[in-house]
Amino acid sequence: VIGLGGLPFLSLLGIFAVVGSATLALYVLKLRRRSMVVPFAPLWRRVLRDQEASELWSRLKRIFSLLLQLFLLALLIFALGDPRPTARRAAARNVVVLLDASASMKAHDLEPSRIEVAKERVNALVDGLGSGDRMLIAEMDADLTPLSTMSSDTLELKEAVRRVRASDTAADLTRGLLFARDSLRGLEGAEILIVSDGALGDLKESGKGVDLAGARVSFVPIGESGDNVAISQFSVRRYPLDKSRYEVFLELCNTTERKVEIELSLLGDGQVVDVSRVELEPKQTLPRFYQDLAGASRTLEARIKPLGDAIDRLPADDHAYALMPERRRTRVLVVSPGNTYLEAALLLDEYLEVTWIDDRAKAPAAHFDVAVLDGTVPPEATQADAYLYLATPATGGPVKLRRVIEDFGFDEWDRKSPLLRWIALENVQVSTGYALEPERGDKVVGSSELGPILVSGNRAGHPFVALGFEPKNSDLVLRVAWPLFLLNTIDAFVEEDSQYLSSYRTGEIWQLPVPGAATTVELKGPDGQIDKLAVKSGRATYFGRNAGFYELSVGDGSERSTTLFAANLSDIDESHITPKKELTLGSVPLAAAQGFGAGARQELWHYLVLAGFVLSVIEWATYHRRVTV
Amino acid sequence: MNIFEVFTRKKPRAPSLRPSEGLFDDDFQRKLESLAIVSRRVFRGRLRAERRSKKRGSGLEFADYRDYAAGDDFRFVDWNIYQRFGKLLVRLYEEEEDLSIYLIVDCSGSMGFGSGEKFKQARRLCAALAYVGLANLDRVTVVGVSNGRVSHLPATRGKTRIFKVFRFLDQLKAEGTTELASAMKTFVTQHKRRGVAVLISDLYDPAGFEGGINMLRYDKFEPYVLHVLDPNEASPKLEGDVRVYDCETGEAREVTLTEKLREQVQTAFGDYRAEIERFCAKNQVPYFAAETEVPFDELILRVFRRGGFLR
Repeated sequence: VIGLGGLPFLSLLGIFAVVGSATLALYVLKLRRRSMVVPFAPLWRRVLRDQEASELWSRLKRIFSLLLQLFLLALLIFALGDPRPTARRAAARNVVVLLDASASMKAHDLEPSRIEVAKERVNALVDGLGSGDRMLIAEMDADLTPLSTMSSDTLELKEAVRRVRASDTAADLTRGLLFARDSLRGLEGAEILIVSDGALGDLKESGKGVDLAGARVSFVPIGESGDNVAISQFSVRRYPLDKSRYEVFLELCNTTERKVEIELSLLGDGQVVDVSRVELEPKQTLPRFYQDLAGASRTLEARIKPLGDAIDRLPADDHAYALMPERRRTRVLVVSPGNTYLEAALLLDEYLEVTWIDDRAKAPAAHFDVAVLDGTVPPEATQADAYLYLATPATGGPVKLRRVIEDFGFDEWDRKSPLLRWIALENVQVSTGYALEPERGDKVVGSSELGPILVSGNRAGHPFVALGFEPKNSDLVLRVAWPLFLLNTIDAFVEEDSQYLSSYRTGEIWQLPVPGAATTVELKGPDGQIDKLAVKSGRATYFGRNAGFYELSVGDGSERSTTLFAANLSDIDESHITPKKELTLGSVPLAAAQGFGAGARQELWHYLVLAGFVLSVIEWATYHRRVTV
Repeated sequence: MNIFEVFTRKKPRAPSLRPSEGLFDDDFQRKLESLAIVSRRVFRGRLRAERRSKKRGSGLEFADYRDYAAGDDFRFVDWNIYQRFGKLLVRLYEEEEDLSIYLIVDCSGSMGFGSGEKFKQARRLCAALAYVGLANLDRVTVVGVSNGRVSHLPATRGKTRIFKVFRFLDQLKAEGTTELASAMKTFVTQHKRRGVAVLISDLYDPAGFEGGINMLRYDKFEPYVLHVLDPNEASPKLEGDVRVYDCETGEAREVTLTEKLREQVQTAFGDYRAEIERFCAKNQVPYFAAETEVPFDELILRVFRRGGFLR
């Protein structure tokens, strides 16, 4: 009926023999009385005359004291064996707890927060484990992190629960279920407990393709109310032709059933740029544009604050962050025999520092970000990071000229290429030019039916763009597309993007570009935690969990350079924090957790130790009251 | 006042006890000189002194007349009687002689029990009483009894002999058993001259304290009992299982000391003292309890005087 889960019986017997012998030895030593000299023993004799009559009873009491001590010892040693009812051991369960640590679990509808209440519930489940049950605690956000082994050790499990932290990501239930299935493979009494507020995305999709192999899935609901107002989207971009100014797009979402008023603040470089009041209808998603803003050169942050009786339970989605590329003057070298169209186009961007030289002149000693070559090759000793070839020369160019072509246009082009952003090339007419012959690794950005006419690539570490015709031989120079093409190309070379700056999204793996040839970088998160990341192929990989500004540092000492970037939650599903009391996985409704009641553990060693303690107290009391001596 | 600490030194200086060392300071000494041990009976003395005796002699106190006989000193003839009655009568006067005082100190092991306070107290009392006796020109004999045997300082007179008394007391050791009956038997055999016998003892005699006192009574001594008591003896310090040894006989007994037993022991000690008091009262033997916690000068100057032992 009772089985041992700890030390085997023979070991217990050995321990009892050794410790019991020691107890006996101590008992014999205890019987060696202390000596006390008295002046007149006959007086004591008179006193003891009555006691001697009950000497036999005294001896019996002494033996009782010894037996009590041995019994106490036996209880404690038996407790070492961890005795448990055999029937309970046979029906033991193996439980994987998927504890939702997504952003919605940061909601404050429960005190102090959903995640803390969820942790308390899991701790209660741990306390309610049966005698042979084992449990594994896993933190489930966009990633799945097991925090303990499959264990019956309540201390280990509670420590794992203590380490759970909610992140600014959405929970990936599919990943969690797959992990649970793999962890429970081949184990008896498999059970999966999902402790969540139910904001788990599309549950029909989550359950698809996951064969849980008969594991029982239970749901422990967390949360009470779902009133929330969120910033669901946030983007910012500089104007292409006036990069000191920018415009902001953001999307506000009211998930409540009532009209709410909020205060929306925009902060540029930590200073308030704009404050406005916004009214949101019930369940309304409101996009807002802020045009022609100025006053921020680096960071931009949006904040919302509920006003009046508006309730906002989730602070995590009340902030959004963006980082604008650093503004600096781009040094451009133009090698041209003279080109009015080119000159006019480059004048449009006041942040360009243009140096003009004749195609027969020597290259200046200065270093340039971009060299624009108008039908020529770069002069000897030209120092430039990137090259734009307009009318690629037959010799000395980055690509070969395949053949002469006439009366052609752009029939195909890469519409997603940053070079051709906001440009319509359908009707461009070219009288004469060359079909280019790109090398392996080069990218054809635009081509006519006669061959590639716009190619980008990299030569000796320097990026280039080659145009297969002279712009003056086309109507391109008469179009708005011409200056846009030039400025897009220069911006692409210097990596100064003027598109909407959608920051990194949390819950995804970020490929962070790392300047230089560093092999490791340091990444400081919004919470101040610093991680060291390895760099591979010029990029560091990082799984982003928290929203806010990140700081990527490369190098040491004076050569240390730091790059900032931002990350946002930007997941409307996580902003819908209305808790679900029931959950349906696929088409199967999940049951409530059962069998975790108090006393289910049935570990007898607690009672044995308690009994030992009580006996010890009794023995102590009776000894000092001279009952058992 | 704590002069007997000097006694216990291994190498006492000679003379070991000087007034300047506080044996008796001047004031206390004067008070002692004004005291005298009271004897309720009149004993025959040996030398002329200040005590009334049974003898008729040349004292100042008129005692009786007798007929003149040839050879009588004419100075003692009462000529007024002769003139009135025509008879020659001679005036007799009481002779004043000395008193024999025996100070018997119990030197058994129980007297030195613990820190030896009882033995110190006994010797202090003995010294003080000896001085009182010597100051009154009495014959003082100091006796130490232990193991049924007797060691004594021969009878001596005069204040100057007090240092002899001190040296004798200093040599006494608290060891051996208490056998008062046999010791007193030896004492009465050795000392034919009757007198006051002051027994200074804790009376822890396994054979019974009565035997020793009765021996003095039966041999016409006038016994006084100074019962030296140490209250700490009735309150054992240990607790729990102990083996109790008698300090004199070595008799052992296993005891578990509890609060209840401690109370019983205290009661037993009280009963024993009451038993002694009852015996002394019944047999008209003056009894004085000399507790170690009571300063000995207070015992001498107040308790003993109030009890009629000193005047």
